[in-house]
This record gives sequence, C-alpha cells and structure tokens, in this order.
Amino acid sequence: MLVESFSKKVYNLALNFAGNKDDAADMTQEIFLKIYNNIDKFEEERNFSSWVMKLSKNYCIDFWRKNKSSRQNVELDENLYTNSVHDQALTPEDSLVQKNDITYLRQKLLQLPPDLRSLIIMRDIQDYSYQEISENLDIPLGTTKSRINRARLKLAQLILNEHKRN
Amino acid sequence: MECTHVQDLISGYIENELPRELHKEVSLHLETCENCRLLKEKVEELIYAFPELEEEVPFFVKNRLYYIPESQDNIIEMESDRLYLKWIAAMVGTVVLFLNLFYFTNIVPPANRTLHLMVSGIKTLTVKTEGIYEKVKESNKLFFLSSKNGETEPNGNEDEDNKTKNSPKKSIEKNGGKNG
Repeated sequence: MLVESFSKKVYNLALNFAGNKDDAADMTQEIFLKIYNNIDKFEEERNFSSWVMKLSKNYCIDFWRKNKSSRQNVELDENLYTNSVHDQALTPEDSLVQKNDITYLRQKLLQLPPDLRSLIIMRDIQDYSYQEISENLDIPLGTTKSRINRARLKLAQLILNEHKRN
Repeated sequence: MECTHVQDLISGYIENELPRELHKEVSLHLETCENCRLLKEKVEELIYAFPELEEEVPFFVKNRLYYIPESQDNIIEMESDRLYLKWIAAMVGTVVLFLNLFYFTNIVPPANRTLHLMVSGIKTLTVKTEGIYEKVKESNKLFFLSSKNGETEPNGNEDEDNKTKNSPKKSIEKNGGKNG
C-alpha cells in the first residue's frame, strides 16, 4: 500500500535530485526505510503525504550535501531513459533525440541549488499544486510561488547563456 | 514596467494567474523587450518539457521496497539474538575468569581450609636425600680435619654424624602440627 502510493513520487524526486538511477534506487530504499523507522513519530492530525514528501525532500537535500564534494563534476548516467508512454509512439531516432533532451535537462536541473531543485521537481515534474507544495514543505504560499518562479528563471537563464556561448 | 518586475511575474503570466490588468501590462512589456520575451519562451519550454523527466519505478527498486518491512523484522530479530548471545558469552566468560582466579590463587576460604587440614594432618615427613646428605657430611669431616691441622677445634658433632652416616633417610617427627 505504502509502496504503491508513494514509490513513484519518492523515486522521481530522488532520480531528478541525484541525476542517476543507481543513486536514485538507493535513495528511494533509504527513504522508505526512514519512513518505516519513523512511522511512530507521525502525528495523525498531519497529512501523511505531506509528511512523506517532506521527509523525502530533506533526505535528498542531506544526500546531496553529503556527496557534494564527489559531485563537483556531475556525471550523468548515460543509460538514463524514460519509460513514459510517449516513447512508445516515437521512432528510434526521435527517441534518441528525446533521450538526449532529457539527459540535458536533468543535467541542467542538477545545477540548481537543492532547495530550488526540489521545488521544480515537485511542481513541474510531479505536478503538485502550489498549495500542496506549500503545505508539504511548510512554506507560505507566496514564498512557494516566488521561489518556483526564481528556479525556473535561473534554469532558463542558464540554458540561454549556454546557447549564447555556443 | 521594469524587466525585474516582469520577470517576477513570468510564471504567473504563463499559468494565467495574474489579474487581467497586470497580464496586459506584462504582455505589452514582452512585445517590446526581447530579453524578457526570450526568457519567458524558455520558461514556457521548460514547463512543457519537465513532465518528460518523470519515470516509472523500475521493478527491482519496487521489489527492494516490498522487502523492507520483512528485512527490518529480520534485523530486529537478529539484533535481539545477538544481544542474547552476548549476555550468555559475558556470563560464561565471567564464570571462567572467576574459576581461574580461584584455581591459581588461594583466595578462596574453603580451598585454604582444606589445604590447611591436609598439611596439619601430616604426622611423619620423610625426606629422601639420595646421597647428597652424605656428601655434605663428608665435606664437613674434611673441614674438621683441615681445621684440626690448622689448630681449630671441632664442634664435637662426630657422634651425631656417625648416627646419621649409616641412614640415608632422615626422619622428622611431627606431632600433628602441635609442638609439645
């Protein structure tokens, strides 16, 4: 039940946070282990989903900070691919282009500070509403919106600057 | 309207969350400012591209997640087993240590008492000299002879020497540990 409901959210948060599948798998497992170990600390009046997402986000940020030194030169998993339904309708060439786009996008995402990255993942990849993010992470709604806007602008600016240089 | 202000409103503009008047103002600015327009287009592109980054959870990850509660139970069981074994090992170790201590030292009163009773029960103690005693006596005689020549008087223990000369064993009478 717990795995069915939250594995996708937790795994995608970890995957887009770490940028590679191996770390994402380990991180997901560690997060679930944390959930099982701390489940008695969960207060019933709180939203369980919020609790899980907050715990996951905090774990991801901690993981990133701990492994910061070894990630100065971010190497992305070359075998990253998507299992999304879009792939099925694509020709192999299109799929390759899309695969490169996804790798590129994920690489750019890794250049954002962890706090902003988690917001982008939740809002733009996992499709949480601003309200949900604000509740899940205990941040005021206005702050959530402005931070997400800042993260998007930063990422857009990064890509535009790179295009200009090339 | 300034660029920084417009950029603060870009997400709201794209997601149609701005009041109508503000939306119009941003539109006007974007028509004239190429930098802000490019930025807005890129943000829009990103918003559409990001959902592609979502993936299904690989089956091996799901399998690992399903086994977590079971493995946790096993770990707890193993830990309790280990704790139990540790206690047993500690107890056995302590007992062995104390036994060694009592065996090699005489600090245990019952053992001391037994030893005392055993020693005090000896009435006759026989010491077998195996000829060393005689050699000592011989050397004594030589000493006496040499001392006579050198005009030194012997102590007159010759009788005693003769008594013991023919007996290779010396007997010591003991009265059950009590003198008198």
